[in-house]
Amino acid sequence: MSEAAQIQFDAIPSFLGASIGDLEDLVPGQVAIAGYFCDNLARPSAGQRYLARQLRYASCPTVTPANAIDLGDVNVFPLEPDKHFLAVASQCESVLETGARMVLVGGDSSGLEALDVAARQVTGADVPIIGVNGGAVSHLPRTQPVILSVDLQELAGKWVSHPHRLTGMSPAQMIAQIDATPGDTIAAAVFGLAPELDNRGKAETRAALAILQAVTARLEKGAG
Amino acid sequence: MNSARKQMITAGYADLPFGIHSQCKADCVGVMGVPSEVNTGPRSGTSLAPDALRKMTAQLGIGLPVDGRDLGNLDLSGDWPAALEQLVTQMVDHGVVPVVLGGASDVASGVLGALPDLPVVAAMPLARRDIATRTANTIWVGLNGDQPAGVWDLISQRKMDWRTARQLDEGHGDYSDTPERAVLWIDISVIDLGHAAGSVGLNPGGMKPETLVSVIGAMSCKWQAIVITGLAPARDTRGMSELAAIETLNAALHNE
Repeated sequence: MSEAAQIQFDAIPSFLGASIGDLEDLVPGQVAIAGYFCDNLARPSAGQRYLARQLRYASCPTVTPANAIDLGDVNVFPLEPDKHFLAVASQCESVLETGARMVLVGGDSSGLEALDVAARQVTGADVPIIGVNGGAVSHLPRTQPVILSVDLQELAGKWVSHPHRLTGMSPAQMIAQIDATPGDTIAAAVFGLAPELDNRGKAETRAALAILQAVTARLEKGAG
Repeated sequence: MNSARKQMITAGYADLPFGIHSQCKADCVGVMGVPSEVNTGPRSGTSLAPDALRKMTAQLGIGLPVDGRDLGNLDLSGDWPAALEQLVTQMVDHGVVPVVLGGASDVASGVLGALPDLPVVAAMPLARRDIATRTANTIWVGLNGDQPAGVWDLISQRKMDWRTARQLDEGHGDYSDTPERAVLWIDISVIDLGHAAGSVGLNPGGMKPETLVSVIGAMSCKWQAIVITGLAPARDTRGMSELAAIETLNAALHNE
């Protein structure tokens, strides 16, 4: 991207203050973060699609990850599920084929399904999905490609503005488990939270942002 | 109309079908709303609780661990406490577990009046004389603050089992002698206002919602009736109080 274009984009909020780029800007090992604006397909709950926008607005450029890039949002067709799924999987595949690692942010769990298909396509094998749910960490070889599933509905009720349950994990517990994820984390999905878009959503937005930061750091590390 | 909207109208509490008490089978539950309103104190809103609980179980897709019917809300015109007592008696006689969603504390009086000889497990911050003077000993869950001297003497003399909110939050929730059969009364004011604001009573230093769930869930009693009072959902925009009531109810019914 030219310097002039980059200067224009500097004013746009991005995930964790990362630079904004396109597919052709990606290099192997880089972490591509993309928003997923769809919350009506798997475990639908209106409002989850706004998480990506909320996290961009809340991002503080002082904690910018060294090796990440904000790709914008993936193109979605939420009213045409078949077309949607193929399109999202294909876009994720294009990102992973560059050798970059990918994080899908926001929406419902349908993004994770598309990421799974894309990862399988690119690696030529099934890629285990590791959920951040407080369970025991499985033992996997360092080089085993894995996908990290970060369902923010696993957070305990006191951390979110519209709780689904009383008990659950704290953001710190989630971050610790993300850090300890075994294998070579090639992709991740952070989803399941419909943030309040005003001050009432401050705590959950900060929690989600800290979790996204941990996910990005884990992907930057590569093989654990 | 989409299916989710239709479901909200046609299904009752925790997706139970609406029905009448004669349709309830033995060992099933009959859920009934009694939307009475508190008439003292600055905090009100209990009349909204039964429908708010139905709505939240529908939104979150929460089910009950037992089968049953939602009997709708009791008509509060006329002598409703007598009607409530009669309904509870009929259900218990047929082996049905009445689950009564209040309402103010007068709802619990109606339920307990139908079962005068059974012990009560009472989750509430302040011990009540009318419960302490029942024939069978009451088990007190989550007492907090100054207790009325006369009631406290009664509890001590009769060696009733009690735990404070703090003891329970610190993990001392092992009740030595829980009865085989009892009535469960949960006044949502037993929960600390800081954790869940939707109650009519102010209870700083009260129980954590998750403690209430685990303490009730750990009791091996076969509940003959369950009543929830003191929930004022409009005072808790996050819905933690409703969630506490729903999860405690599920924990209680897990042993049924």
